[in-house]
Amino acid sequence: MKRNLKVILILISVSFLKITSLYSNEQIFESGVSYDEIYDPIEPINRLVLNFNFFIDDIAIRPIVKTYRFIAPEPVEKGVSNFFSNLKEPIRTVSFILQGEFYKSFNSVGRFTINTLTSLGTFDLASKVGMEKNETDLGITLAKGGVSSGPYIVIPIIGPSNVRDFSGDVIEYFVDPLSNNLPNREYIAIGNGLNERVEIDEQIDKVRDVSSDRYEMIKSIYYQNRNAQLEEEYIQNLPVPKIYIE
Amino acid sequence: MKILLILITTIFSFSATQASEVSEWFEKESSQFLEIISNNEGTESENYEKYKYFVNKNFAIKSIAYGLIGEKLVNNSSEIELSEYLNAFTDYLIKTIYKLANSNSSSSIVLQDVDIKDDIFIIKSEISYKKSSANLYWKVIDTGTSFKIIDVIVENTSYFVTKKSEFNKILRKNKGSLEALVKEIQKI
Repeated sequence: MKRNLKVILILISVSFLKITSLYSNEQIFESGVSYDEIYDPIEPINRLVLNFNFFIDDIAIRPIVKTYRFIAPEPVEKGVSNFFSNLKEPIRTVSFILQGEFYKSFNSVGRFTINTLTSLGTFDLASKVGMEKNETDLGITLAKGGVSSGPYIVIPIIGPSNVRDFSGDVIEYFVDPLSNNLPNREYIAIGNGLNERVEIDEQIDKVRDVSSDRYEMIKSIYYQNRNAQLEEEYIQNLPVPKIYIE
Repeated sequence: MKILLILITTIFSFSATQASEVSEWFEKESSQFLEIISNNEGTESENYEKYKYFVNKNFAIKSIAYGLIGEKLVNNSSEIELSEYLNAFTDYLIKTIYKLANSNSSSSIVLQDVDIKDDIFIIKSEISYKKSSANLYWKVIDTGTSFKIIDVIVENTSYFVTKKSEFNKILRKNKGSLEALVKEIQKI
């Protein structure tokens, strides 16, 4: 039954990708998105889901995160963050191989080995010896393979995504060589989700404070971060205003 | 060959001089900014005035404001409309920076690198918070008399790009009305 579910979900993901390429209005996949117009055909639904997510965050997740950040000493918070990041090294390795980035995939294997053996991943010793962490995932792999991002979607509880990245996440969940072989992987997934929420806690507070349209702000931040993972010279290539004499 | 070498040397030394000037400016202004953040002893309006002075002195406000609404709307708007928008945006920018800085209590900003692309300086720095640190990039232009910031990028999030999408949305929703945008940004 579980095996059938896996197949069904992967098929759904793949068919989503097909739909994506049909409906996406993007021209160039390298940049992933035009900064002014992000393809967002289901905006009213997305806005509802975002409001729902903020509601859940306010009543359940945010209090947990704030309490945790208040109680946990900095090394503990860092250690937990490193632990979950280390669990993603095997899937990063797979992603880099699929992208043809063999040096980075070896780096990921090395990082996973060093950090797991020395501290179960809670301390990033590998970075100290020059093996820096390289972020990637299957969504990025699909993007580099020419799959366009498709419509922007807000997933209940999980948050902002697009069809390509969400499909990547679904596939990742089932093909991840590590977590597939771990017991209670659902708890690990929840722990990872909470850890990710902790990591963006300050940003979320800022969004609450300084945005005239938090939906647009979150969407823009999401795409900027994804584009930064796709483009080599992302910062240099960001659009700048035309200069007027002050 | 000799002329070519002289030319290359001149260009490189000119860029190096410019980079060192912008670095000097950055060190001075960022330490002043940290001083403003850490010195919260005055009243709220006094503190706000300090931010206002800092933003007016160091940001290319007109370029950012006009860039956010686009050249077409700038050309189609009257002087009065643009002036109202510019005033509202200046206030908006100050309030945004004031809120962000007040909620951060950052302890240091360290310059890491200066790069130049298309006459725009890209200053890479690292800002440290209580528990963590983040990469902070500044895009800066040389106006001839001073350096002015045209964009601030925290990690990978650009202020200009984020605000452009927010402003575009408001404009689209209100059929390109600058007046509606002014009303909206005055709510912050």
